[in-house]
Amino acid sequence: MAQTTNAHRIKLGDSNTDCGNVNNSFNTTVYNSGDAEIMRWLSPLEPGDRHNSVRAARHEGVGDWLLETTEFRDWMGGEGGADEAVLFCSGNPGVGKTHLR
Amino acid sequence: MDCVIRRRREVKPLHGWLYCDYLAQQEQAIAGVLGAILKQVVGRGDLPKDIREAFQKAKMVGGRRPLLADLMRMLRIAIDSLPQVFICIDALDEYLPKELPVLLKSLRDIVRGSPMTRIFLTGRPHVEEAARRYFTKVVVIPVSPSQDDIVNYLEMRRERDDEPGAMDNELWADIVKIILEKMSDMCVGAFGVSALSTMLTKDYM
Repeated sequence: MAQTTNAHRIKLGDSNTDCGNVNNSFNTTVYNSGDAEIMRWLSPLEPGDRHNSVRAARHEGVGDWLLETTEFRDWMGGEGGADEAVLFCSGNPGVGKTHLR
Repeated sequence: MDCVIRRRREVKPLHGWLYCDYLAQQEQAIAGVLGAILKQVVGRGDLPKDIREAFQKAKMVGGRRPLLADLMRMLRIAIDSLPQVFICIDALDEYLPKELPVLLKSLRDIVRGSPMTRIFLTGRPHVEEAARRYFTKVVVIPVSPSQDDIVNYLEMRRERDDEPGAMDNELWADIVKIILEKMSDMCVGAFGVSALSTMLTKDYM
């Protein structure tokens, strides 16, 4: 069960409705030691950590244009079902692919 | 996008994401990746019973890590219990090449089982072909930064300069001009998974 505890805690990025201020720090969910063990068993990866560092370095507003495209809106809506489930943002390597926003 | 978010407010989607990194390819083997996505999908509230049971079962046989089939089963159950799930994977081209087909096939299986699931990928153009082998239709958006984006970013970096007096306006103008000229020759992916996740979450606070 996800709850606050002082011992044997791990933190995972929680991107859901319980989020705090997404402009500053990424909200975290703290698990008791039993659940933390299960989470580590599921995967040693902690994408939330990387996500936090990307957010901290991101510049506000960059990339917003993408969110306004018809392609993105249609994809987001999900009406296309499984046939239109994948959106691929294609770009060559360069400065700040992940951080420019 | 805000109107889309508002329209879908009642759905309350969840999302899992992953940043691929060629420096950590061995750590990003398929089981670890799907496990990381599963962690984020079930990361709110109580852990599902089937995951607890699978963990206890694994402990009885020496704590064996979940296999791909185990993770897919748990992921399917978790996704099916939710209205909609977004899976975002950044820098797909940096994912372990030999396991990329398995990852794409797994994503395809997830989508086939839960058609409302959305998959958001970023990567270099050559990976697009790999994705097309597994999905009937892949909507591709070529990404490059606008000049405004670049200037804004440079201004932000200038504000962080710990020696602001060392640069006059003329030098700054030259720097911006040169960078814009060089950038015009490049196609740069300026949008990442983090941007998407911010967009997905900011209306649900």
